[in-house]
Amino acid sequence: MPKAVAADYQSRVRKPRDFDAFWDDVLRQAAAIPLEPEVVPDPLRTSEDVEVFQVFYTSLDHVRVAAWYCRPTRRPERTPAILFTPGYQMDPPIPKELARKGYVVLSVAPRGKLRSNKQFNPGYPNLLTHNIVDRHTYAYRGFYVDTWRGIDFLLTRPEVDPTRLGVTGSSQGGGLTITTAAMRSEIRAAAAGAPYLCGFVDATELTHTYPYEEINDYLRLYPERRTEVEKTLAYFDGISFADRISCPIIVNIGLQDNVCPPETGYALFERIGARDKRLYPYDGHAHDAGRVKHSAVVDEFFAHHLLGRAASA
Amino acid sequence: MDQAFREYWQTTLDELARYLTRPEVDVLPLRSTPFATLYGVRLTSVGAYRLFGYLSIPTGTGPFPAIYYVPKYQSVLEIIPQGTANLQRSRYITFSLAARGQRNSDVPYAAMFPGLLTDRIDSAASYVFREIVADSVRGLQFLLTRAELDPARLVVMGNDLALITAALTRGATHVVTAPALFYDSAELAPKTHAYPLEEINDYVRAFPARAQAVRDTLACFDLRAFASRVTATTLLMVGAPGGLLDRAALTPLITALRGPVTIYESEQSSYKDGLYAEQWMATQCGIKDVQAILPEHWRE
Repeated sequence: MPKAVAADYQSRVRKPRDFDAFWDDVLRQAAAIPLEPEVVPDPLRTSEDVEVFQVFYTSLDHVRVAAWYCRPTRRPERTPAILFTPGYQMDPPIPKELARKGYVVLSVAPRGKLRSNKQFNPGYPNLLTHNIVDRHTYAYRGFYVDTWRGIDFLLTRPEVDPTRLGVTGSSQGGGLTITTAAMRSEIRAAAAGAPYLCGFVDATELTHTYPYEEINDYLRLYPERRTEVEKTLAYFDGISFADRISCPIIVNIGLQDNVCPPETGYALFERIGARDKRLYPYDGHAHDAGRVKHSAVVDEFFAHHLLGRAASA
Repeated sequence: MDQAFREYWQTTLDELARYLTRPEVDVLPLRSTPFATLYGVRLTSVGAYRLFGYLSIPTGTGPFPAIYYVPKYQSVLEIIPQGTANLQRSRYITFSLAARGQRNSDVPYAAMFPGLLTDRIDSAASYVFREIVADSVRGLQFLLTRAELDPARLVVMGNDLALITAALTRGATHVVTAPALFYDSAELAPKTHAYPLEEINDYVRAFPARAQAVRDTLACFDLRAFASRVTATTLLMVGAPGGLLDRAALTPLITALRGPVTIYESEQSSYKDGLYAEQWMATQCGIKDVQAILPEHWRE
């Protein structure tokens, strides 16, 4: 069996002193840009029980962002909504399954993803290190805002209940769940799986697999840039965002995770500010983080917090 | 159908043969390490379509065993699959190919995901996967030209395309495959809402008059029809019991494969499933220190 993971791992991440000021400034820039939402029915993907739409909206730097939007055909006048956030390499899915469970769902494709890559396309691998020496132009500055603007889109929809919003995703989607829950006070419940983008620098030492290996590749070629790289990443690390989270949140990690080291999951969880938080560590699992078993936990979590169903004992 | 199947694929291979590979192989310093050099490879496939792939060659004296990662069903092309220890590249030559439509091979054709699985599916002759299979075959043909390769240890790994590629051309000594797209798809798709098979449901719902044409096209890609041509030693990764593609569902494929077959039932853990595949490949390729090339959190 593999060696046990240290649950008390001490992350190297230190939140920059001007972290809030940096992001306040970014949000101020974003707020000046009109959302210009466009909702296009997709009859090919629409079925009897779920209506599917392609959505587009404008984000930071005037980048046009795509998303899939699904809503149950039969739904209350005001329906709870979930923002689904994508993995690093995955193509954002059409979230019909979540819609079948009674939610309006937006599956966002932040810049660089398929359908959102006309104006920004650093590619894969490369996204993780694109402009990594400058926090004002680093790839994830816009990428994060694109995700958060998904909440602005949901709030424009008359069928969405603005008091019942959730966010979920796994891997990069887990990291985006963390940052979204931290930056959008409208979020009422968050479920993050195997969170990526948390403990970047820790991860480059704990594991040597892609995507984090992109950073090791970069520093092998440009070792003199390490200080700038680490400075930038501190502004984008989920661990730096974590103390801002106040909504109920669950996090699942795999103790043999070969992509996002479980040590970083423990470090993240320790920093999460919410009082109502719970960690689900799955032994015998890697980056799937126990997904098959854990999906029932996520279903019940959102049913309780967004649909108002009683939690089981 | 047998005759039509044979002619369909022979025509495709004949067409591919009319195009020379004309490879361009360039070092990528950013992804090269002390233990392996990475190259970007451009080569030509059927229809004069230029493809891109990543070729990694271990440092040292070969010949080396190789893993050919056939095109995945996603837009992104990986150097090695996400979560694989980079040190895998110290022992194996690895080659990953983006078929037409995937990133880096998306000019002039950029595929949509979902969408690719049903692109031109109403005609077997024009179905996009006919060309994608040809791309995958071309990738294996290219790899076989490399002097660093030990041709007695060449693993073709991936989804359905791994099996189809090994069936259609020589060179694969081993196959690791996890069917997902082309096993009894016309019958199985209506039993699931999960993509990618849901693409077939979407398409047939939107164009019911084309349902028979879709069935006819899918029959040309059904893994059962390729199985008797596969002589490589095969690791068949099947779904967990009760799943759409579990051992019971895949039994006709299992019995039809001509070469030696090992069946692995998923434990619904990417650690357990991934570890088994890594160890199986290492054993087959005579790599004794597999622990050294596992991800850190899998090592004992």
